[in-house]
Amino acid sequence: MGDPSKQIREAARKLFEEDKVDLIIGFEDGSLPLRATPCFIRKGEDAERLVWNSFCENNLATYLPKKKGRIGIVAKGCDSRSIVGFLKEKQIDREDLVVIGLPCEGMIDRKTVEERMEEGEIIAAEEGPDGIVVKGTDFQEKMKKEDLLPESCRVCTHRNPVLYDVLIGEAVEEQKVADPFGPIRGFEGKTAEERWAYFSGETEKCIRCYACRNACPICYCEACYVDSSEPQWFGKSIESTDTQIFHIVRAFHAAGRCVDCGACIRACPVDVDLRFLNKKIEKDILELFSFEAGEDPDRPPPLTTYKQDDPEGFIK
Amino acid sequence: MSLLADLTGSCQVLAPVRNGDSLVFDEIRARDEIHLSECNTRKSVKEIFFPQRERLFAYRGQETREPSFPDEERVLFGVRPCDARSLCLLDPVFDGDDFKDPYYCSRRRNTTVVSIGCNRPMRTCFCTDTGGDPFSLEGTDVLLIDMGETYFVRPITKKGENLLAGRPGFEKAEQDQIRRKGEIIEKAHQSIHSGLNLERIKKELDKDFDNPLWDILHEKCLGCGVCTFLCPTCHCFDILDEGDSRKGERIRIWDSCMFPLFTLHASGTNPRPSGKERMRQRVLHKFTYFVDNHSRVACTGCGRCIRACPVNLDIREVLEALQNPE
Amino acid sequence: METEEALQASWEPKIVAFLCNWCSYAGADLAGVGRLQYPPTTRTIRVPCSGRVDPLFILRALQNGADGVLVSGCHPGDCHYLSGNYTARRRFAVFSRLLEYVGIEKGRVHFSWVSAAEAGRFAELITEVTEEIRKLGPAKRLVKKKVE
Repeated sequence: MGDPSKQIREAARKLFEEDKVDLIIGFEDGSLPLRATPCFIRKGEDAERLVWNSFCENNLATYLPKKKGRIGIVAKGCDSRSIVGFLKEKQIDREDLVVIGLPCEGMIDRKTVEERMEEGEIIAAEEGPDGIVVKGTDFQEKMKKEDLLPESCRVCTHRNPVLYDVLIGEAVEEQKVADPFGPIRGFEGKTAEERWAYFSGETEKCIRCYACRNACPICYCEACYVDSSEPQWFGKSIESTDTQIFHIVRAFHAAGRCVDCGACIRACPVDVDLRFLNKKIEKDILELFSFEAGEDPDRPPPLTTYKQDDPEGFIK
Repeated sequence: MSLLADLTGSCQVLAPVRNGDSLVFDEIRARDEIHLSECNTRKSVKEIFFPQRERLFAYRGQETREPSFPDEERVLFGVRPCDARSLCLLDPVFDGDDFKDPYYCSRRRNTTVVSIGCNRPMRTCFCTDTGGDPFSLEGTDVLLIDMGETYFVRPITKKGENLLAGRPGFEKAEQDQIRRKGEIIEKAHQSIHSGLNLERIKKELDKDFDNPLWDILHEKCLGCGVCTFLCPTCHCFDILDEGDSRKGERIRIWDSCMFPLFTLHASGTNPRPSGKERMRQRVLHKFTYFVDNHSRVACTGCGRCIRACPVNLDIREVLEALQNPE
Repeated sequence: METEEALQASWEPKIVAFLCNWCSYAGADLAGVGRLQYPPTTRTIRVPCSGRVDPLFILRALQNGADGVLVSGCHPGDCHYLSGNYTARRRFAVFSRLLEYVGIEKGRVHFSWVSAAEAGRFAELITEVTEEIRKLGPAKRLVKKKVE
């Protein structure tokens, strides 16, 4: 059981030595506590920069559709499922990709840490085998990693990459999640008024920065519906109904494609609860069409196909 | 803080309040709603003067109707000096020699800014590099310094003096209080990590527009608009008409140079076709073009972009790389 | 200018109906030819196929003040373009659930299969849908305020 950071560096160096890739996308130490940051290296000497820890929250697959050439990419479970999504949608060539798979036990949710720290600025954070020690100017607290995971990591059943060319370290045991859609069902049980109140309340916070869209790997369209001007589907301002439509449609466009990596939630600067939309659609896609995103690269996306006996109870 | 209680009685007071796990500026009616912490608010104060969505006029047939000018007196309380200073950077744009935005100007006129100095600058603060200071007097009408049990109050402008005139709860500062204030200021200065030489950076930026460094610096940028929307000095906007041929309104909304559409021409060409050109433009605008036009850097070192960037793209690292090309 | 009460008392549902050219629109046309009576609440938009209907159409209709939306196409197996209505079926299965989930009242947005021969069915359908929407009242959610 070696140090994964070292193993990634070795794997990267080897890939350059054997001239298998032109670029490797991984993580390096960030400039702030609790952060790792995406890193692009093009030669073996730079492999030293690569790290792996519980701060590697970004989904690096988001960089793939625009890149050309032979690329090595560090991918945890959710990232690898995004890559499967790209293969389904023919956005990347499998031969040009070397997936460096990392079994993952979850990534720290910075917002959870900040909430627990309440007042103080976090000045340093160190990850150890038995938890994360977070330091402020006049406080220090040790927290267990399990207590700091976001919901998307808590209900993750694909901690091991579903496809990879190189696997770093040992596979981890998959979580047994009794009911990943429990909160969704709970929400479904509320009245329409309650649901509208929550939805409109959450979207009221939105500042239309599009961090969610840009952080999301599956939002790769060069001409996004938001920017359409012929026709302009809805307004660009923060007016309530325009923002509500933005979120409904973005969630819908990710139907059957979202792998619940949590990148959108982490990117949002004003803490809009985006996941409650995406998770609902994920549940429906599973129930209606027995389909899970990011599983089988050869199975077509659910909304591009059909079956004769598809559910139509809702049709008059 | 009796001053606050007194103020809320007579005019609208906007101050940082806790909203979920972040701080935002909102109206307060009672003094215990305010929440001052060592961390700055998530969003800047620019939206108080330059709203994210603003109606310029409404039309109906041939008639147009402009919104009335905001004339309510208000107090913006608990602003950090970097944000107060940012108003001085927005003024040349919206209240300049060539053009004055009447809505912005009336909001500026009607708002008294009460800032509070930063006893404990955050690690992401670099105001001193940009010409600011944790106790800067720029852009504020009254400066407060937290002394523990009391606040040191210093009116800076006539407006500030007028605000404080006749209000209860003030005492003249004593010698040891003045000394302690000096210590607080000194300690704050020592804790700011500084290291950027903006004059040198401007020279490097002006030297080579096609600097190959940009290929590397922009690579992890997602091209979202978080940095521009949270930045206290970013002020790009778009003007749109919403409505139909009979009636509607013309609105101004925040725009971002990071969006691909920002420079998309009707012909379909885009002079800034990729994230590289857009990021380069943003840095050049803030750290050299604005200097050429208005003699100051369009950045107050508040650090919001650093904290909020989804991929931890740190503007300080970008500037350092440009300052010290290897 | 009408008062609020007068407007409310005289309110009639406005329903935007996306009808596929080959089946549902033809069915509606046949209803007209046959002088079948049904509430004049629909504003019809003819589309080549129910598969053409983008959820954005529905949202735009609601945003512009439609009290209800109907999307109607050919019965499965009868699509002029062979499979357009199949993909529509999948798409709207997901979308209708999403709309209800965020709080748009059940009964605002409807989907149906009506063939070119089913004039009576079409008239029945519109009557049914109009009644449902009348019970729900004017749409308030997702409606963008118009400039006065």
